[in-house]
Amino acid sequence: MAHLARTLPRRALPTRITPYLRQTQALSTSTIQPTFVRTRRTPTPTPTPAQCQPKTLLSQARAYHSALHPRLPDHEYTNSQTAILTAALDHVPAHGFTSTALTLGARDAGFLDVSVQLLPRGEFDLILFWLASRRGLLRGKVEEGGLFRRIAAEKGKDVYELGVEERVRGLLLERLRMNDEVRHVWQDALAQMSLLANIPLSLTELHALASDILTLSGDTAVDAAWYTRRVAVSAIYASAEVVMTRDPTPDLSETAAFVERRFEDRQAIADKLTGIGQCAGFGWNTAVGLGRSWGLKI
Amino acid sequence: MSSRPAWRALHYSAKRRAFQPPTPYRCFSCTTRAQSKPEDERMTHFGFTNVPESEKETRVGAVFSSVAASYDRMNDLMSLGIHRLWKDHFVRSLNPGSCLPAMTADQRGWNILDIAGGTGDIAFRMLDHASNINHDMETRVTISDINAAMLAEGRKRSLDTPYYNTNRLDFVEANAEHMPHIPDASVDLYTVVFGIRNFTDKQAALNEAFRVLKPGGVFACMEFSKVDNPVLDGIYKRWNFSAIPLIGQVVAGDRDSYQYLVESIERFPSQEEFRGMIQKAGFMIPGQGFENLTGGIAAIHKGIKPIVKA
Repeated sequence: MAHLARTLPRRALPTRITPYLRQTQALSTSTIQPTFVRTRRTPTPTPTPAQCQPKTLLSQARAYHSALHPRLPDHEYTNSQTAILTAALDHVPAHGFTSTALTLGARDAGFLDVSVQLLPRGEFDLILFWLASRRGLLRGKVEEGGLFRRIAAEKGKDVYELGVEERVRGLLLERLRMNDEVRHVWQDALAQMSLLANIPLSLTELHALASDILTLSGDTAVDAAWYTRRVAVSAIYASAEVVMTRDPTPDLSETAAFVERRFEDRQAIADKLTGIGQCAGFGWNTAVGLGRSWGLKI
Repeated sequence: MSSRPAWRALHYSAKRRAFQPPTPYRCFSCTTRAQSKPEDERMTHFGFTNVPESEKETRVGAVFSSVAASYDRMNDLMSLGIHRLWKDHFVRSLNPGSCLPAMTADQRGWNILDIAGGTGDIAFRMLDHASNINHDMETRVTISDINAAMLAEGRKRSLDTPYYNTNRLDFVEANAEHMPHIPDASVDLYTVVFGIRNFTDKQAALNEAFRVLKPGGVFACMEFSKVDNPVLDGIYKRWNFSAIPLIGQVVAGDRDSYQYLVESIERFPSQEEFRGMIQKAGFMIPGQGFENLTGGIAAIHKGIKPIVKA
């Protein structure tokens, strides 16, 4: 629809359609927006461009998704925040997702101990940055082109023979393997993410990951399956993360087996639901036909 | 012998006139002033009244000299004790003191400058947090206030703390808009709690804060602000303009000072405007830039001095 709106001249579109075009929210994806700026009635003094926060990125965010729009960045942290967070990630395997890691990161980046105030959410910002940056890395690996070739080679296939399902599975496992180095501290991170105030952002990030995995795998569904597939991938990823934290195998083979079983379950549930739907439709048609044969006006 | 009653009368009057404000006539209800001033002087607001900039300092001084003694009791009554929660939250969110061993001499303890912190409310909390939570015995606080009466109150209170007469606590009487005794880039954390409202030139104070802070240092300010919710705002305004001057009159015996207090709260810029002022001074704003407390009655503003890469 958005594409249609672009190609047609403005006058060719009936005025009644445009509101629907604007409301096309079905394909909305969103990334974390730490610089959430609330609107207020009172006018705010506009800062000079040099001091301006990256609000411009927000203004690009639209309520609907289109392949024609440029992709939103993985996160909206400023340069200084990114410097501290990137340096802090080096300390995560030793200190976990804690304020200690943040402080050490700030010191490494040339800031003071007090500069961690730059991150209003503290440790949770570190977790979000980890998630968002790994998501960006995953995307980079796919766009580089090597990832699917490797997955195909593991299965002994050509890259063009890989189905969407196999690609999704491969990407999901690849993303889980990225967590390998922080596996021992990941339970703490999951605990942080499940705090009441942190749940909305955690879910947003989970959805962004599921959406990225499906988009990168070449999933082009635009019907109700768009939602169910994202929910399914999110659920499998989230449960696999929990399994991964207790996985004793060094190459995550237990987690991989778990993911495999969950995809089979998903297929089984999908088959069952389709069967139930067919059965219900058949029953309904039978009932209607029976009624008509008795002379009911239906 | 006749000189004795006269001497007593003199003595008596000297006692009663413990404080003589430099401006003898202070009118809160109207804008007429006792002394005529040159017309070209820049004006600033003092509560709802407009006064020349040169006069605001002495007037604010008079207010705080008169409330210093009953400051804590009055704060409890006016805010129903909530100001303690705000202050605790403020200090906890700043987490003063390093819990990690210092790598360089520069990292040994924080150098905190508490502006307008005469009674030491924030300073003692920060030192307590640094020593008890982060086990950091190096962090130092310099309390700076323009008002000697408030500083005297703080000195008196510091007697009961373990920081009395140590190098961790220091009192300085200074104007926050101009602090030549503090060198450039020497402070880790600059705090001003319920004080910046009373400054004559807030932007000058922010610029001075930017100067004294080290690169990467934090400016943190807690101040009364604008309430979001219209219902809460109605109740809050009614409380401010009816109850607080009355409490001031009954408890502290000084209605005018508390009338000034609520008027100055009303005149203080909104969260967004003040954030703009902090940005204008050159600070980076983390995230949204402010955090509302109790629906916006008070707000915590933060700014970080950027590091200039050579």
